[in-house]
Amino acid sequence: MPTRFLTLDAMRVLAAYGAAVLLFVIGGFVHPGFASFASVTSILLVASFVGLVAAGQCFVVLVGGIDLSVPWILNAAAILLATASLGEDSRALYAIAITLGGGALAGLTNGVFIVWFGVPAVVMTLAMNGIVEGLALGLSGGLTCTACASYAPPIVAAAVHGVWLGVPAALWLWLVVIVVVTFALGFTRFGRTTYAIGNNARAAFLAGVNVNLTTVCLYGLSGLFSALAGILLAGFGGQASLGMGDPYLFQSIAAVVIGGVSILGGRGQYLGAAAGAVSLTALVSVLLALNMPEYGRSIVYGVVILALLLLYGREEAE
Amino acid sequence: MSLAERAEGDPAATIAARELSKAFGGVQALRSASFAARRGEVHALVGENGAGKSTLIKILGGRLHADSGNVLLDGNAVRLGGPADAARRGIGTVFQELTLLPWMSVAENLLIGREPRSALGLIRRNALAGEAEAVLAGLGIHHIDPRALASEVSLAERQIVEVARVIVRQPRILLLDEPTSSLVEREVEWLFARIRELRARGTAIVFTSHRWNEITSVADRITIFRNGAEVGTFDAIDEDEAVTLMTGRRVEALYPPLPPVPSPAAPALQLEEAGVGDGGTVSLSVAAGEILGVGGLAGQGHRELFLGLFGAPPLARATIRIGGEPIVITCPADAIHAGLGIALVPEDRKTEGLLLPLSVRTNLTLPILAQLSRLGVIRGGAEARMSREIIDSLGIRTPNAAQPVGALSGGNQQKVLIGRWLLAQSRILLLYDVTRGVDIATKHEVYELMMRLARQGRAILFYSSDTEELTHLCHRVLVLSRGRIVAEFAPPALTAEAVVAAAIREPHAA
Amino acid sequence: MPPDAAATLAARPQRRPRAAHVLGQNIGLVLAAAILLASAVVFTLMFVIQQQRLPGSFEITSTVNNTMPLAVAAIGQTVVVLTRGIDLSVGGVIDLTNALAAIFLAGSPLHMIVVSILVVLVGAGAGLVNGLLVGLGRLQPIVVTLATLSIFQGLAIRVLPQPGGSVPAGYTNLLVNPDAPTALIFLAVAILGWMALRRSRLGVELFAVGNDEAAAVALGVNALRTKIVAYSIAGALYAVAGLFLAANATSGDATTGNSYTLTSIVAVVLGGVSLFGGRGSAIGAICGAFITTMIVNILFYAHINPLYQAFYEGLFLVVAVVLGSLIGNLLRRRG
Repeated sequence: MPTRFLTLDAMRVLAAYGAAVLLFVIGGFVHPGFASFASVTSILLVASFVGLVAAGQCFVVLVGGIDLSVPWILNAAAILLATASLGEDSRALYAIAITLGGGALAGLTNGVFIVWFGVPAVVMTLAMNGIVEGLALGLSGGLTCTACASYAPPIVAAAVHGVWLGVPAALWLWLVVIVVVTFALGFTRFGRTTYAIGNNARAAFLAGVNVNLTTVCLYGLSGLFSALAGILLAGFGGQASLGMGDPYLFQSIAAVVIGGVSILGGRGQYLGAAAGAVSLTALVSVLLALNMPEYGRSIVYGVVILALLLLYGREEAE
Repeated sequence: MSLAERAEGDPAATIAARELSKAFGGVQALRSASFAARRGEVHALVGENGAGKSTLIKILGGRLHADSGNVLLDGNAVRLGGPADAARRGIGTVFQELTLLPWMSVAENLLIGREPRSALGLIRRNALAGEAEAVLAGLGIHHIDPRALASEVSLAERQIVEVARVIVRQPRILLLDEPTSSLVEREVEWLFARIRELRARGTAIVFTSHRWNEITSVADRITIFRNGAEVGTFDAIDEDEAVTLMTGRRVEALYPPLPPVPSPAAPALQLEEAGVGDGGTVSLSVAAGEILGVGGLAGQGHRELFLGLFGAPPLARATIRIGGEPIVITCPADAIHAGLGIALVPEDRKTEGLLLPLSVRTNLTLPILAQLSRLGVIRGGAEARMSREIIDSLGIRTPNAAQPVGALSGGNQQKVLIGRWLLAQSRILLLYDVTRGVDIATKHEVYELMMRLARQGRAILFYSSDTEELTHLCHRVLVLSRGRIVAEFAPPALTAEAVVAAAIREPHAA
Repeated sequence: MPPDAAATLAARPQRRPRAAHVLGQNIGLVLAAAILLASAVVFTLMFVIQQQRLPGSFEITSTVNNTMPLAVAAIGQTVVVLTRGIDLSVGGVIDLTNALAAIFLAGSPLHMIVVSILVVLVGAGAGLVNGLLVGLGRLQPIVVTLATLSIFQGLAIRVLPQPGGSVPAGYTNLLVNPDAPTALIFLAVAILGWMALRRSRLGVELFAVGNDEAAAVALGVNALRTKIVAYSIAGALYAVAGLFLAANATSGDATTGNSYTLTSIVAVVLGGVSLFGGRGSAIGAICGAFITTMIVNILFYAHINPLYQAFYEGLFLVVAVVLGSLIGNLLRRRG
């Protein structure tokens, strides 16, 4: 691309991929077998959950928002999948449909209150996280209801673990999501208006863009992707558990900003956020391979994020 | 003073600029500009928008650093470390974009940095309003409530507070960048009385203004700027000569001839009894092929009127007819798709018009994405072709359509904004101060473009803060004051003096 | 020098009364206080109905003591939010300082005082790191503090891998006396400190930067220094919160602070501090902290299934914010 801004953006995406590859190489040196195909696919599989949540986070961050309701929408989705399907394949489709619908509904509600009631995104999504948490815990009796012991439908578990052409099916799904989201952001009216809003909502509005509706839809999509990640995680682990969504809030935001998406909105690509998800997961895996204790991982994690941001996430000086 | 002298410097100068240059991105705002003001004089800086006056004031006020050249105080070159440093050296500046803090009270703003303090050194917040009241009264201001938030008082009152804040610090050198832009006559008189007092005490006062009668009534000397450098300094100069020096060409050559309005005139846009601002109502009608000017002082409802016609937000109680058909406009999308299509080119293209980091193409096609898309997917070929056509037909100077629009010059950015609406085939154009901050050559191009659009039968509603522009570019001019139309002029009665006189006339008994 | 009569701008007859200004400009604080009062009344009514007596010293003391860490942390968050920032590292700093306190607090009173001061300095240092990254690094506050949260949490676990350590009873009695609400004295000190800050040059600069950074710079404010100092003060206050938390629990845990990141934001929002900077009061944030405690108490006495607690808290937050902005708009329209 010939122009400065795009080059900078493209460089940020490339940097995120470079970091991911570098981490795999380092891992290969410190731990033989780390860079093997099986190991890489299993790391990518773990990264895919972060990546899916990051897709939703990326959408709202692109319009200058943020979604803090990720953890419990994800967790509630996993619980809802198990309780609605009772672990039966025959009910799987129905369970998946209402779970995705519920996630989207929670996200849309976020959007409606942010856009039409002027509640700051941080506050609204924080409150929604609590609301969904309370509902999920209350309705499932703290995950003690009889249906709560249900496993994810075998078909979902099989879909996550199943291997097609040597690659886990969940990874294929992520790949599809990457392609679709990247295409949608790059080549559709929806993507164009998203960037327009993120760059300058007022100017976009004065150019005839329906800013409010688009923003609400983006929050809806974020809820949808969190729910999707919840379904896959339930399939991955077999069951829902309490607190399973907690790590995904900070990881999704970190993946998005590491991937070169500006937290102020309007700039960045999902391709970068996906690379960010892989980098972060690979980083944790490398540190685990080094037998680094939890505290060390936590510190290195923060330092690496800061280092990458200082490298290419700074605002331009006046 | 002759041009040869000024490079050596004015020995009597309290503050001087020597060969200052400053560029923003690719735009050269100052090109080796020099200027000097003496103790006890009122020195007017005049020039077109974009001539470099504001940049010069910002550098002298310590807010910007020049790329090259010096600022001299009493003959010595100084490096101003910032506005605070400039203030310590006795330079007080009222910048064009006001610096009042919106969620703090008038008193807090007025007294910032010199608040009344207790024995413990803490600010006596209870005493702030009283002290501010006294300070304002000492300057002859009795109508501003010091307890109100800065965002609660009117634009004119904010401008007055801003001036008062600088004056009470008793600067040796007072720089005022368009201090009268939103003041009415009475308030301008107040300001000039203060300026004369300061002059009598030996203060050097530099101010910029676009109103010639103000300049001649208070200025001792006048320096004219054009294209980022001074043209000359004069003790007295008549307006015609000044305009020629400011624009670099005769007035007639700057403004292209107006095409006649086709007759019979078909009304394109009619507005009946629209509520504008507090209590005013406006009715107007623009015909296809007509350029209708709207003039008057800033802050009199122009912005509300233009944005309102575009649905952002809608006008109160308005009946809008397009091509004779009544329509309802609730948001810009309604306006864009209404009948003949309404388009707005807003005042500030950087915050309200363009998406600066995005490409020229994206900026051009944003309003017509729906037509350009099939099943939501943008047809890239069609988009590229249409944007290419507009770039060529308007002569937008850009290496390619993928260039971020922020990298273009101001004039080309303005053309992108207008081109957007040509793509959308809008037949009614609302142009709001579109030549502000644009250089002369580009202004000329924008004028030519307006004439071309009018010849094509588009209806244009045109607001400009430059009254001269209105009188040369419009078939008719309405004067808006406090949300009401107070006068209408058509040639031969249409003169800048008549428009200004109508604009500043105090409303009777109200 | 009396200005000549022709050039004065005469008084306009109608001026809003002083009280209207005070109310309008402190609407967030007033609403926060009103909500706190209302929730206290509701709580008292429920308590009286169920216990057949008024809430006594025990109830008041435990409410105050339980709220102290959040109240102090919320003051810190307020200082940052006023500059138009946000601090997500609250939890990490509280974790770290809480862990340090649990390990090193022991021995003579003098030793405990020295340790307390050092712990507060550690918190200030953590805040300084945030401030430098935000100011000099030109990074967005939300991502900076997200990263440093992880770092501070890691350090906390390094300091105190397992919950443990102990806080001497004397220290607990001093900070959070279980028998009487003496902690209110510390709160009063904090409020006095806030009022002094509000009346200092730094306070003015804090508000100025949050109002409009560019204008503040034009007025001669050093925005960089102001932000760095703001984050440092906030860090020191989180450390104080960590000390109160340790005193409350009489032992340390390197993860109990985590929840304070989000609850401090909730307290600030309920306290009427604008997340867009430049408007708000730490007193409001303290009210916000007490409101959250009151809500928990009310839910308890309303016999709400504790599993639903988060639901009602979330709902309450949304309703409070929406109602608050509605009332604010209404007042502004009438004024």
